[in-house]
Parts: sequence; C-alpha cells; structure tokens
Amino acid sequence: MAKARCGRILGDDIYIEEGDTTTLYFINQLRAYQVVLAALKALDQDICHNGCSLPSTVNKVIKRLGKLKNELEASDVVAEKKESLLSKIDSFLADANRLPQDTSQTCRKSARECIMGSGCFATGALNLINEITEPEAPKI
Amino acid sequence: MQTEVLENQIRGLNIVLGALQAATSEICKSCINLEGAKTKVGKMVKKLGMDLHAASICCEKTKADLQTHIDSLSKAAEDLQVAEECECQKTAGNCKLGAECFVTAAVDLMKLIQ
Repeated sequence: MAKARCGRILGDDIYIEEGDTTTLYFINQLRAYQVVLAALKALDQDICHNGCSLPSTVNKVIKRLGKLKNELEASDVVAEKKESLLSKIDSFLADANRLPQDTSQTCRKSARECIMGSGCFATGALNLINEITEPEAPKI
Repeated sequence: MQTEVLENQIRGLNIVLGALQAATSEICKSCINLEGAKTKVGKMVKKLGMDLHAASICCEKTKADLQTHIDSLSKAAEDLQVAEECECQKTAGNCKLGAECFVTAAVDLMKLIQ
C-alpha cells in the first residue's frame, strides 16, 4: 500500500499508509502538541510564569498527553510506529513537566498585572488543539 | 498609544512567534500559510515599532526597553525558516488535519488582546 507523508514531529518525517486513520489521529494530535508546547514555553517567559492559568493549562496538557499515550498503547497501530510515537509523547511529557504546574498562585488578571482584557493566552494556546477536526478519535 | 497597549502586543507576538517557530520544524515549513504568517507577523512588528516611535512615553528607559523587545521580535520574525518554494500542505496532500490550520490559529492568538 502507498505511503503518504503526513507530518514532521521532533525532526522526523512521519509517513502512514493511505487510509490508516487511526495512526493519523495520533500523528495529528502530536503535531498540535508540538505547537502548543512551544507557545506555552514562550508564555513561561511572560508574566504568566507567576500566574495560575499557565500551570492549569500545563496540567491539562500533561493529563491529555497521558490519556493519548494510554489510547495509543491500546490501539492497533503497528508496533514499530507505535513505539516511535510513544517516544515522542514521552518527549512532550518531559517538556510539559518542565513547565510550571503550581496552580495556587494568583491569576495575573486578579493581580492587575495582566491587562489584555478577558482573553487568556494560555487558554488560547491550548485551544490550538481544537484546530484538528480530522480524523475522529478511534474507538478504543 | 499607551504603554500597556504596546506591552500587550509585545506579549502576544512573543507567543505567536514561539508557536510559529515550532511550525517551522513541521511540514508547515513548506506551507504558504506559514509564509503568509511570517509576512503578517513581520508587518505587525514593524507597525509596533512605528507606534512606539509615535507614542508619547515620558520615561526614556521604558521606551528603550520596549524598543529592545520589539527589536528581538523583529529578529525572531526574520529568522523564521520558511522553504523557498511553498504550497499549501493540505493541497499537497501532506496536511490531513481537516479544514483548519495551526499557523493561522497561532497568528489569531493576537485577537485575544482586547
């Protein structure tokens, strides 16, 4: 079956067999986390470092990556590809774990330090995941 | 223009550029959307520099600090590595995430600033 390129994650070009939507689902998720984590790292250099929205978002990312890892492990993705993608999830988890996770700090809006309006960069960065609309999550 | 407005723009552009930098290591590197985003963000940074120049900020140190941030953003925007020949990666059959686009959404993070 023909192989098609469908992403580049952590420096590796990723190919799938045409029609393999299960593997594509996991690849697309990782493509998104690559961008989300980069945005969160930039936020960590911002006043968000001392707030609660960034840690809250980071915790969500860690939780979701853990869930994604469990789903991938339980999936019927071929072994070699599965191992490769699992190592990328572990790498993203390590990146996420280096970001702030203490949600007890005061929101920078409440501290009157963040004055950008009602929006929030941390939430917005996480919402980049919502850009993925295809394929649907596989039933595992 | 008030200092706060400029600072918010700088904060936003820093995050957008972080996300776009990640996209350059992806298949987006050869995508017209990233090429367009680079141009768009470059213009935003340039406009920010002009706004700062026109702003009535009394404190010279504050103004100089903002200029330093803008210079850094300008360099980051220029340094975004985009392929010489780009085409939409959806059209090329490589990007299969649906109708949306990470790069466009990353630039749209600027709209969170009210």
